[in-house]
Amino acid sequence: MKQIFLLILPLIFLISCSKNNSEVIDYNDNNFSSGGVLINAMSAEPSNLISMIAGDSASSAIASKIFNSLIRYDENLNFTSDIAESWKISKDQKTITFKIKKGLEWSDGIPLTSADVYFTWKLITNPNTRTPYGSDYTLVSQARTPDEHTFIVTYDDNYAPALDTWASLEILPKHILENEDINSTYFSRKPTGSNYYKLGDWVSGQQVNLIKSENGVLGKPYINKLTSRIIPDTSSQFLELSAGNIDLMNINPIQFKRVFPAKPKLKNRTALYKEMGNGYTYLGFNLKRKPFNDKRVRQAINYAINKEEVIKGVLLGLGEPISSPYKPGTRWNNPSLKPYAYSPKKALNLLKEAGYKMSADNFLVKDGKALEFEIITNQNKQREMTAVLIQRRLQEIGIKVSIRVIEWASFVNRFIKPGDFDVVVLGWSLSLDPDQFNIWHSSQQGPGQFNFVGYDNKKVDQLLEKGRRELDLDKREKIYHEFSQQLLDDSPIVYLYAGYGLTAVNKRIKGIKSPAPPAGIYHNSQDWYIPKSLRRNELTN
Amino acid sequence: MNLFKGNLLAIIGFIIISIILFVAIFAAFLSPYDPNYIDINSILLPPSYDHLMGTDGLGRDVLSRMLYGARISLFVGFVAVGIATLIGIFLGSIAGFYGGWIDSIIMRLVDIMLSIPSFFLILAVIAFLTPSIWNIMIVIGLTSWMGVTRLVRAEFLSLRQRDFVLASIVMGSSNKKVITKHLLPNSLTPIIVSSVLGIASAVLIESGLSFLGLGVQAPTASWGNILTDGKEYIQFAWWLSLFPGLAILVTVLGYNLLGEGLRDVLDPKNK
Repeated sequence: MKQIFLLILPLIFLISCSKNNSEVIDYNDNNFSSGGVLINAMSAEPSNLISMIAGDSASSAIASKIFNSLIRYDENLNFTSDIAESWKISKDQKTITFKIKKGLEWSDGIPLTSADVYFTWKLITNPNTRTPYGSDYTLVSQARTPDEHTFIVTYDDNYAPALDTWASLEILPKHILENEDINSTYFSRKPTGSNYYKLGDWVSGQQVNLIKSENGVLGKPYINKLTSRIIPDTSSQFLELSAGNIDLMNINPIQFKRVFPAKPKLKNRTALYKEMGNGYTYLGFNLKRKPFNDKRVRQAINYAINKEEVIKGVLLGLGEPISSPYKPGTRWNNPSLKPYAYSPKKALNLLKEAGYKMSADNFLVKDGKALEFEIITNQNKQREMTAVLIQRRLQEIGIKVSIRVIEWASFVNRFIKPGDFDVVVLGWSLSLDPDQFNIWHSSQQGPGQFNFVGYDNKKVDQLLEKGRRELDLDKREKIYHEFSQQLLDDSPIVYLYAGYGLTAVNKRIKGIKSPAPPAGIYHNSQDWYIPKSLRRNELTN
Repeated sequence: MNLFKGNLLAIIGFIIISIILFVAIFAAFLSPYDPNYIDINSILLPPSYDHLMGTDGLGRDVLSRMLYGARISLFVGFVAVGIATLIGIFLGSIAGFYGGWIDSIIMRLVDIMLSIPSFFLILAVIAFLTPSIWNIMIVIGLTSWMGVTRLVRAEFLSLRQRDFVLASIVMGSSNKKVITKHLLPNSLTPIIVSSVLGIASAVLIESGLSFLGLGVQAPTASWGNILTDGKEYIQFAWWLSLFPGLAILVTVLGYNLLGEGLRDVLDPKNK
């Protein structure tokens, strides 16, 4: 008895000891002040901090913190002032006059004026500049700067996406780049900007540090330093988040639905955000190849794919079925359209109409040839799983499907750009303007252009041309609703799902709007803050 | 079994390989489910009575996929090594028997091939071809014949000086007869040993390629594939990483034990 008692005593002592020493973090601390470091994880290293040259999402995520545009989107996706304090559209709707704010400075103290804006426009329309975005700006027939604070552009024809293009063009400093070759300048690694942050240092393969700018055009943010760590593997990112070494990362549905609930401690100190992204995943047919030139075959495959199952199986329900190429809930999305409901029966009827017969070994055959094709996709687990689910459903009605997963660079250069594929599982992320001329107009089928499925419909061509000239929003809405309807009927692609963007953020970061506004949770990142007691210990000088 | 008398490790290797062969051959009878049967209502279930090794990200039974995966791994191993051994015997025989300039050419070719890291060579070749189980077997076979070539040549060089070979040549036997009747049968031991060890490395290469997405394509199961799937869920679905990882480990170990055991047993110098 004595021995047992002696054993228990030290145990109690140990337990109480550890309790006293445990650190208690109170995540409800809302003490508001500026300072602190936010560390997030990026999957890829930025290629080039000049957005018009770079074209990858890692680069634009960093560049958008450094540079400003003439105008920008507010949290409800309406246009608001950025460098320009106001803008005016002329009566004939062909001329836009931007009034630029007075007293703006680049982070090196040199004044920011209309000359910089004009210089940037010249740069992006220069044929020697290697940018994929130039065509939007060459539509400007004349650009003028009557004084330091005015920038006027004139179009030959009405161009509805004009404001959107000015909201996405980041203005570059003329005084630094004037005598530089934009394609190879060192500026792309050491930029000087005008926004909330400036580049601190950039260690290749490790991290990019952004430091608060003291003379940002839009004011000062609360958080002093943004560190973006480059961690290609999402599992490693997640381990870092669990260890508290990073504050913010994009997570996948499995992590959202299964991993977080299984880790109560981690869940306790992490806030999860879910928002509908502006993109979708689809199955696209190569319309230049048989049998996909037959609308009935495409519709049949559309009917044979169970989209609900894909959303449930691949996204664990964290997505929505769509029936037009626009974000659900926005005005451009035609609410009267419904996705092709899963119906193997309808699929088989359509295929029989198209001339296919069931062979003795249960495969669909026409003129002695089996209905057989290859689905290609890039190394993306979700897309690969989607392809497997589709393969199963198509095999059930007698279509032979093989799957091939290809690394991204060769996927794009060897298969997509030359149009060498049968069927592809891929995604589109979209700009906020409804104009999808690049993707669906029959003139956009050249190598490297975006209409690589080869969609060609005269009516849709006309609607797209009309849509980008129409400035009246209600009329524009009608045009794009009609376009979506035609697209759904032709079924050049099968809409699979629009997935939710999922973000995990350490609760020490305060001020994030929830639920997310239409522009997304990052929209007000300059207003995020970290209460003093929750900051990491850091050396300051 | 008498063959391995007293060599415990070799017996263990033999038993492991026998079990895996049995499992691979009778996969269709042993697996409780169709390995490609998708059930989105039972995604990522932990091991239980219904699913002894749990289920994967699409609700497929991991045990069934492992059993069919054994088939792929072993099939790739045997065929790839078969190709490599045939090439190796052919080139090694020519080099060892004829000697001279043809020997020099073949041996320099071996040196060149050996100077290229084989896994990267395989990666580069596969990237240009369509990844499929046949291509993988052929490519592994075509890039791993050098060891056998060297062994066969070395055996031939020494055997050629033996009296019985010289006698056969003197008696007027054709070169073909000398090679197939006298030289080859007497160099079989090192060939068998290196083939068995070669299977182990072929299994490992196939798993590696599938892990990188350049191997066997979905939805066909292979151990490497299951392991890649598991990487995504490693924080909580340990069964997706543990079982295929263990299977690869045990198989490679089994072949190595068996191979080394065979060498000890068959090598007359050890008797």
